[in-house]
Amino acid sequence: MPMSFEYRGMLINLPDFDRERKEYFEHAAQKKLVVQKCKGCALLRWDPGPACPWCQSLEWTWQQVSGKGTIYSYEIVTHAIQPGFRDWVPYPVALVELDEQRGKPSPDEGVRLITNVVDENFNPEKEENVGIGKRVEVVFLPVAEGVFLPQFKLSKEQPTERVWQFQNV
Amino acid sequence: MWDLKDKHCIVGIGETEYSQASGRTTRAMAAEAVKRAMDDAGLAAADVDGLLSYHGNDSVSGVRVATDLGIRPNFFMDMSGGSNSTEALTAIAMGLVEHGMCKAVAVYRSMNGYTQVRIGGTGTRGAAPVSGDAVLERPYGWMTPAQRFSMFFMRHMYEYGTKPSQAAMVKVVQSRHASQNPKALMKKRVAVEDVLNSRWIVKPIHLLDCCLETDNSVCFIVTSADRARHLRQRPIYIMSVAPRVCKPHPEEYMQRGHLTETHGVVAREQVFGRAGVTPKDIDVMGCYDAFTWVTLLHLEDYGFCKKGDGGGYVTSGAIQLGGKCPINTSGGQLCEGYTHGISLVVENVRQLRGQADDYCHGWREGKHTYDYSEGHCRQVRDAEISMNMAGGTGSQGSSLILRR
Repeated sequence: MPMSFEYRGMLINLPDFDRERKEYFEHAAQKKLVVQKCKGCALLRWDPGPACPWCQSLEWTWQQVSGKGTIYSYEIVTHAIQPGFRDWVPYPVALVELDEQRGKPSPDEGVRLITNVVDENFNPEKEENVGIGKRVEVVFLPVAEGVFLPQFKLSKEQPTERVWQFQNV
Repeated sequence: MWDLKDKHCIVGIGETEYSQASGRTTRAMAAEAVKRAMDDAGLAAADVDGLLSYHGNDSVSGVRVATDLGIRPNFFMDMSGGSNSTEALTAIAMGLVEHGMCKAVAVYRSMNGYTQVRIGGTGTRGAAPVSGDAVLERPYGWMTPAQRFSMFFMRHMYEYGTKPSQAAMVKVVQSRHASQNPKALMKKRVAVEDVLNSRWIVKPIHLLDCCLETDNSVCFIVTSADRARHLRQRPIYIMSVAPRVCKPHPEEYMQRGHLTETHGVVAREQVFGRAGVTPKDIDVMGCYDAFTWVTLLHLEDYGFCKKGDGGGYVTSGAIQLGGKCPINTSGGQLCEGYTHGISLVVENVRQLRGQADDYCHGWREGKHTYDYSEGHCRQVRDAEISMNMAGGTGSQGSSLILRR
């Protein structure tokens, strides 16, 4: 069955033929964060796609990940372009590097995904609490009947690397 | 082996008014820009037989413009895409001319970027149904170029200590250049504080870090060097081009790889190697300035300074008129107006001809005062070699080196 739901004024469509993204959301519905794992070389990859960029294998499976990671970069959206986000500004968007496969297969590589940083109530985390290097973990935001959107919140874990926050100077 | 050095020329340039109220169609503007470029070169409709344009579903096809102007194309192509397209289409034009498929090729872009289709995707487009790749982006309120590019700039600050006040200097310098350009949309000179105090779009990008949404069309015409020598203008030779060169994993540049590096780390060897020059030889530079920060990254990746030193470089004086390598002498897309990059090539052609259309009375004859104070001259003295670097922060981009 195709999935379709509304979130912040946008209709999100996951037709059956978009196997990768639909299955990703089916896992999220069970509160599991998954990424693709290549059956040829066993490397994890993101965004979901049909082939392995390292070994070109077309065979893959889903791999559940810990949902823990570190903020690799971020921004604070202050001027919403999408109408459904106007009541959400200012909100942080972060590029989160997952703990799995950091620095592989080469030192600059990792598995990074786009997310918001939210608080316990799924509201945007305050700007002063967000920064590069901060530890985060996945949470699942209920957005429709049986549909969850993976989001990240700040973790209680201590940062393991330098924490940096933006300054307008 | 590159054997196309100096074999093709840009022979005609044309543009429409830079405005935020064109009051006409992209078709009408394209016809005017192409016509002006033909007139500039001294080419009749029968002399032009190729049209190449790029678009984001917001423009007019080359076959339509050809019909309007009585051109019978031997080739036309409308390419989807933005920033890096001008130089990529230049490469295609060279191939068409080199192999005898076309005699002269018009490259153009036409957009009502303010009054019709705004690149950021405002209004109903921001609420449109979402599928495909965007399913993993738009639900996070992440969609526009400013929102996408910010990740790079933040990471650059983290890794290299670059400051918003340094990036702001790109706008400051270009505003000085625009004050010498009667056509520029924003001619007023600004200071670093003006940029830092302008309203936020998405932190770290202020309003004045962004290019100006503009209604405009620009065209230039490419033909063989042999033909160029018999036309109206001084030929401007294409020394080399690196068209749409990509980093590894081009569409997954955020998910993997070094986030602060652009296509320039790959393209620089190609474009400089083919031309047989180095950054030191470049007299005037066109930087794709969708945002101030992009310029800084490209200057680093093309080797104008060390990686990470872009902030220092743009505040050193090197990039302004009178400096080592002035950038975007028209005011660029931050001040003259946003054209998806093509105006930056046309400005370099003017510079190499010695005909920057500034406030000097004799600019048409190449007579300039070289007084770079407000409201005077923007001609670079003895500009012999120019370069364009084009692309966003992502993994694909182009570059082009011209000489007089």
